Amino acid sequence: MIRNMSKLLRKTKKKKQNQQESKPQDALHQSFNENVEIFRSIYENCSDVVFRPFSIFGKTRAMIIYIDGLSDVEGLDENVLSPLMQETANESQPFNELLENKLPVSNVKKVNLLADCIESISTGNPILLYEGGSDGFSLSLAKWEKRSIEEPAAESGIRGPREGFTESLQVSTAQLRRIIKSPALKIQSMKIGSYTRTTVALAYIEGVADQTLIDEATNRLQRIEIDGILESEYIEALIEDNPYSPFPQIKSTERPDVACANLLEGRIVILVEGTPFTLIAPISFFSLLQSQEDYYQSFMISTFIRWLRYGFFVISLLFPALYVAVTTFHQEMLPQALLLSIAAARETVPFPALVEALMMEITFEALREAGVRLPKQVGSAISIVGALVIGQAAVQAGLVSAPMVIVVAITGIASFMIPSYIMAISVRMLRFPIIFFAGTLGLLGITMGIIAIAIHLCSLRSFGEPYLAPLAPLKGRELKDALWKSPLWKMGTRPHFTGESNVYRQAQGQAPSSKKGGESGN
Amino acid sequence: MEKGKISSLQMAMMMYPAIVATAILSVPSITAAYAEQDLWLSPILASLTGFATAYIAVRLHKLYPSQTVIQFSEQIIGRIPGKVLSFFILVYCIQSTGQITRAYGEFIVTFFLFKTPLIVIIASMVLLCAVVVYGGVEVLGRAAQLFFPVFVVPLILLIPLLSPNFEIGNILPILEGGMMPPIKGAIMPSAWFTEIFLILFFLPFLADREKGMKYGMITVFVVMITLVVVNLIVLFVLGITTASKEYPLMIASRYISYADFFENLDAVIMAIWIVGAFVKISVFYYVVALGTAQWLNLSDYRPIIWPIGILIVQFSFWSLPSTMEFSRYQNTALPFYANFIQVFIPLFLLVVAVVRKRKQIGSKTS
Repeated sequence: MIRNMSKLLRKTKKKKQNQQESKPQDALHQSFNENVEIFRSIYENCSDVVFRPFSIFGKTRAMIIYIDGLSDVEGLDENVLSPLMQETANESQPFNELLENKLPVSNVKKVNLLADCIESISTGNPILLYEGGSDGFSLSLAKWEKRSIEEPAAESGIRGPREGFTESLQVSTAQLRRIIKSPALKIQSMKIGSYTRTTVALAYIEGVADQTLIDEATNRLQRIEIDGILESEYIEALIEDNPYSPFPQIKSTERPDVACANLLEGRIVILVEGTPFTLIAPISFFSLLQSQEDYYQSFMISTFIRWLRYGFFVISLLFPALYVAVTTFHQEMLPQALLLSIAAARETVPFPALVEALMMEITFEALREAGVRLPKQVGSAISIVGALVIGQAAVQAGLVSAPMVIVVAITGIASFMIPSYIMAISVRMLRFPIIFFAGTLGLLGITMGIIAIAIHLCSLRSFGEPYLAPLAPLKGRELKDALWKSPLWKMGTRPHFTGESNVYRQAQGQAPSSKKGGESGN
Repeated sequence: MEKGKISSLQMAMMMYPAIVATAILSVPSITAAYAEQDLWLSPILASLTGFATAYIAVRLHKLYPSQTVIQFSEQIIGRIPGKVLSFFILVYCIQSTGQITRAYGEFIVTFFLFKTPLIVIIASMVLLCAVVVYGGVEVLGRAAQLFFPVFVVPLILLIPLLSPNFEIGNILPILEGGMMPPIKGAIMPSAWFTEIFLILFFLPFLADREKGMKYGMITVFVVMITLVVVNLIVLFVLGITTASKEYPLMIASRYISYADFFENLDAVIMAIWIVGAFVKISVFYYVVALGTAQWLNLSDYRPIIWPIGILIVQFSFWSLPSTMEFSRYQNTALPFYANFIQVFIPLFLLVVAVVRKRKQIGSKTS
């Protein structure tokens, strides 16, 4: 469909060069025949465009133009064609008003410009042209096949809403509106992409989100000039602060509840037509290590899981590098028994630990990537090959030591504990240089690698918000939702950076207690 | 030139490792050489110079709130004398950056990577520091803030981990030889305390300038406490043999042994200490880069970061022929050199500035 539309527009451009009289920004002609001619030439060779000529009330000639498959044909028959063709005219009323009264369609817009007509047809709203008028009617009868709302595939959870965004923008915005019913939820939309004309919507809560942030986001979006937007990553790549960073500076989510939670904290959400993944900005490093479920369970459990996650984040980044460094440079750090068993396992291995680690890590990455890409029917093949060949045969053949397999397996599991998939990938990517540093300079190399990453993180910003906030720069009050998770009744304030304009989000002193009444009194 | 802003807390977290990182390595043995079992008193005495320096620096800063010492020295004593004075300060800073870098390199090579060429270790560290300096004072402040707990928490953990090896009796007899030994032992560490002088380069970029004095003093105080505790740890573990060790804290940390698993942790201690050394070298590096740019009236300090980095690596070799020579220099020349540049020059500037302001006010009222 997209290809069709871009072809169609290309056609329009060609026509523009040939026929000087019909530029898209021109107004419609006075003459009905002329208008029909223009449309026919614009939609030349577009087999999916339907021209339906008929007569209104049996005397005025008219034409309906729509794209097959994008418009509700039944609705067109029942609500437009049949009333207009069958009824007779009441001469006393002006023709325009008469038409509006006779059309039982919820949203009828008058259009004067050729460009508006094309836009309307492309989005699925049929255009009604009639003799004797220099304008047409855009009938909101768009209807096309869309996927039903399903559970988000990439962000699943035990507790919490099970619905995810879909490819249809209207459905997505409706999902936001269903959660945040206040009219303060604003959704501004714009069209981006010269061929795809993709609708991109910017959602925020007025009075909570900072006006400068909204202006900045609008500016960045309006700067985009591109032929097409096929996924929200196109937008992300064109509006993020530092494109030369392995870390995502904009969070993507396909969960309406996550989007709304961020809206309530004063962030903005960018929804893109054609993809369920919406963008959230600004974000911090820590928000990429948090999952929606942290907020749907007791704060103690959340804190425990968060710490576990932070711990495994570090393991995912450093474990193979530490193994390489310790076995190559700092053997004295290992207790004797452990050192002996590792040495025994490594005895037959012909490679240095560095090569062994790089080899195994690359194999693991290959397995993972193959697992994502391959057709479902052959999925089991990969797991069998992975488990048997890598796990068992390689160790038995003496190519790889068993401790290395364990290290790689734990690292692999650890990287899947990071809730943000993009973040997990960047961590995996950074693992390789650190393994390399560990193999050349030992623990010194690892520390240098960590320092380098830390410097980079310290210099990053997401829409102006320091990436490592609230840790550096330190905001003691914000640690409640970063280093640990405070109980809900203690989270009285919005995050410092995004929630400055509207600090308090709930009443103070809501800690539940039996003294507050409501108990049965025994 | 520098548009970033830092908080005074960030400044304190920058200055703390900037003083402590190298001090915890060599101060125990240097003070022990003079003060023997009273070595823990020396940092307290030495900190007096630190408090004085911080006070002088903040007073100077209040007279010229938006300028660094390189800029206002010209205003206080005139253009040419000011340039000359600033030149001395800059040469001192760049030389000590070189020496710190060298000390860092020597430490790593002696203890861990015996076969790695010194230049590799020094150059890789200077490269890292160049990156953070390039990011500006904001990134430096945030990095320092991020690394501060990484550096401090293990230092605190050392106390319980080493406590089974403590011989509290090592502290006795207190003041056996009177007050003179601790005072002699304090002369050398005072060189480290005067490094608080560098806040003169950071005070103009504070978002909360009124807290500058408070956090400057807190920094000196915490440094003093740290050195006292480190000296005590070393004394309790190693006794009076402390003086004969080059890096006593490192030796002491080898005594850690728990559950037959946490043993020989010196590599971990090194990894943590590198973080402190990184902050220290970065702070000095930044001061040199910023100061040089201001001295040359450049519009930005970033273009000269790279050449200064090369200079720092060069100075780390030029200024020290050998480690023996370095410890001789540390014991004899450095305390006076450091005190002269970092205490007496600011004091001189302050006196002149105050006298001049008085005169100005006097001439205005009369």
